[in-house]
Amino acid sequence: MAETTFLDSTELVLNMGPQHPSTHGVLRVILKLDGEKVNGTECVIGYLHRGVEKIGENRTYQQFAPYVDRMDYVAAVSNGLGYCLAVEKLLNVEAPPRAQVARVILTELNRIASHLLWLGTHALDIGAITPVFYCFREREEVLKIFENYCGARLTTHAFRIGGLLYELYDGFEQEVKTFCDMFIPKVDEYEELLTNNRIWVNRLKGVGLLSAEECKEYGVTGPVLRAAGVKWDLRKAQPYSGYEQYDFEIPTRTNGDTYDRYMVRMEEMRQSIRIIRQAVDKIPTGPIMGKVGKVVKPPVGEAYVSIEAPKGELGYFIVSDNSTQPYRVRVRPPSFVNLQALDRMVRGGLVADVVAIIGTLDIVLGEVDR
Amino acid sequence: MADEQKPEGPVPSAPEGQGTPPAAPPKPAAAAHAPPKPPPEMAATAWEGDLPNQIRERFGDQVSACSTYLGQNFVAVKADAAVPLIEFLKLEADFDYLVDVTAVDYPKRAERFDLFYLLYSFARNERLRVKTMIADGAKPATAVSVHAGANWLEREVFDMFGIQFEGHPDMRRILMPEEWEGFPLRKDYGILKQDDRWVRENLGIESGQ
Amino acid sequence: MGKLFRTVFLVDLLQGLWVTFRNQNPKFIYTEQYPAERPKVAERYRGAPRLNIKPDNGETLCIACNLCALACPETLIVVGSERNEATRRKELTEFTYDTSRCMFCGLCEDACPVDALELTQDFEMASYTREGAIWDRQMLEEGPKPTQYRN
Repeated sequence: MAETTFLDSTELVLNMGPQHPSTHGVLRVILKLDGEKVNGTECVIGYLHRGVEKIGENRTYQQFAPYVDRMDYVAAVSNGLGYCLAVEKLLNVEAPPRAQVARVILTELNRIASHLLWLGTHALDIGAITPVFYCFREREEVLKIFENYCGARLTTHAFRIGGLLYELYDGFEQEVKTFCDMFIPKVDEYEELLTNNRIWVNRLKGVGLLSAEECKEYGVTGPVLRAAGVKWDLRKAQPYSGYEQYDFEIPTRTNGDTYDRYMVRMEEMRQSIRIIRQAVDKIPTGPIMGKVGKVVKPPVGEAYVSIEAPKGELGYFIVSDNSTQPYRVRVRPPSFVNLQALDRMVRGGLVADVVAIIGTLDIVLGEVDR
Repeated sequence: MADEQKPEGPVPSAPEGQGTPPAAPPKPAAAAHAPPKPPPEMAATAWEGDLPNQIRERFGDQVSACSTYLGQNFVAVKADAAVPLIEFLKLEADFDYLVDVTAVDYPKRAERFDLFYLLYSFARNERLRVKTMIADGAKPATAVSVHAGANWLEREVFDMFGIQFEGHPDMRRILMPEEWEGFPLRKDYGILKQDDRWVRENLGIESGQ
Repeated sequence: MGKLFRTVFLVDLLQGLWVTFRNQNPKFIYTEQYPAERPKVAERYRGAPRLNIKPDNGETLCIACNLCALACPETLIVVGSERNEATRRKELTEFTYDTSRCMFCGLCEDACPVDALELTQDFEMASYTREGAIWDRQMLEEGPKPTQYRN
């Protein structure tokens, strides 16, 4: 038997969360620590479980639409789009062109809002306090557009099955264009604050590595996958809602670390502005609602439709039994699947990096737990 | 708390009332047992091409149908063949991304659950669903050895439907509390008053529903 | 050399600080001094529900068709009606709206065929009791009366 020395240490189990400012909600991570080194983690989730899928089975197709906004509440418009597209797929109808373009504009604005919230809180976790105020200031402009368009800022319920309920208001195009012109210099401003900031770079470079193979193995999608060098974006790979008409790039990086994910998301915001500018210039006239009745009864069948939400692939798998209520609604949440890779990313790293890695995954607990 | 539902008032439709016939894949065996008025079935058509032929060749009569519905392809297989098929698809057809694992409950059917594996191939830019039927209490094999990402997804299926996966490294509840009873997404699980006991024992108060 | 220069003279830090100071301009103030300064909500804002009445005689516009109650995902609307034998029409007797469960999705106002039920721009709906959040017909017709504060 070896003699015990004072240098011997036992594994320390540390609870991080569920009430912790940098877990972005009610995520509890049980860390197994050897000094500063993380030997393993276990995520305890479900604190925000509301049984959205069960609720969906007990509501009509239209009635369920407001609930999906409450999963990923910082990207409610994307959630609504995914759900509407899935039901439209089952019904075999398509939204009219005007509705599709309006959907693209609002979804891209929502992507910017979601990324801004991510950037602000992520920077706050790392220790930069200024960006959070700037990001929320610009996000406010996006939320104002949502409020003017559909009457709500966060849980928008902006889209309906078959198209849109609300006609675009007067001055919508102008307001969106003003936002685009205002926003691009602001992104440069955030980059000025962070991109070359030595503290920022030192905290993020080489932290939370996840290679492309590991991403595929765990099913990780979105900016995390693109930062690992996979040029894959559902808007390009399987275009929906007319995304094939727009000219934009898929930003990728190669290192697959936290810094690259930051760079990818910053570039994504610029690309979103590019899409919005193209879309706003060519909003067609015409109806905004497709041929969908007040009561929706899709034929018996099942369909899986997924969209590129700000966090990754957001899918809806709906089984219909030809009644007014879905037989089964399954949500494939990007945050839930991405969070699974947390263990792989933090293992062997330092305890301080856990905060950075949770931040970079951009999870929303409403979506993880549903 | 966890099961936040309507406190009172008319429930649009109780889950028991929804026993409409399942959307089973077109199978002659199912049609033979059908009541006088046959249940509406998914209007899926046969899926032709190289890949379905390869699958049929490799798995023979374990594959019951290769179909397509609304442009989405799916393969219905026997429960034992599901994971070998996923492995085959991953290794030889580039379906290297397991999108989702989920289940659907049909309480009136002998083989109660439909288990779905949603696959995607980056190289082919194609989606594929693997669909299998399992009975209540049956233990399908886990897909964790093929796709590490199946870990939490299968745990969620267990949590919501009570389907135990054989060989899963960590078969515990994931969203519901550990001591929860019942499986919420089964159709015979009501939506009211489910948390009474749990709330009384764990929180020491009466449920507010 | 350039890197050394940047490090010694704290160029990155100063660049960052310049951004911060540029934003100190008082015209970039976004804070609203609520409740002294009341925020202006959008025209389509979905806030407190209101049951509209005819302005001239105070009769309700509601025809007691119950469509809002059917459309509501949370089934929080209860419409009470009675058949008037004289006019042979259904008449509204009571209308209850449980705002504590409402998520302001707007499906009830979409469903209303006569624009009687409407989600208005009022957003101050707080109440000291749970019962206070359940609005009856009178409350719905009059709307909430929040305290007005002045500087």
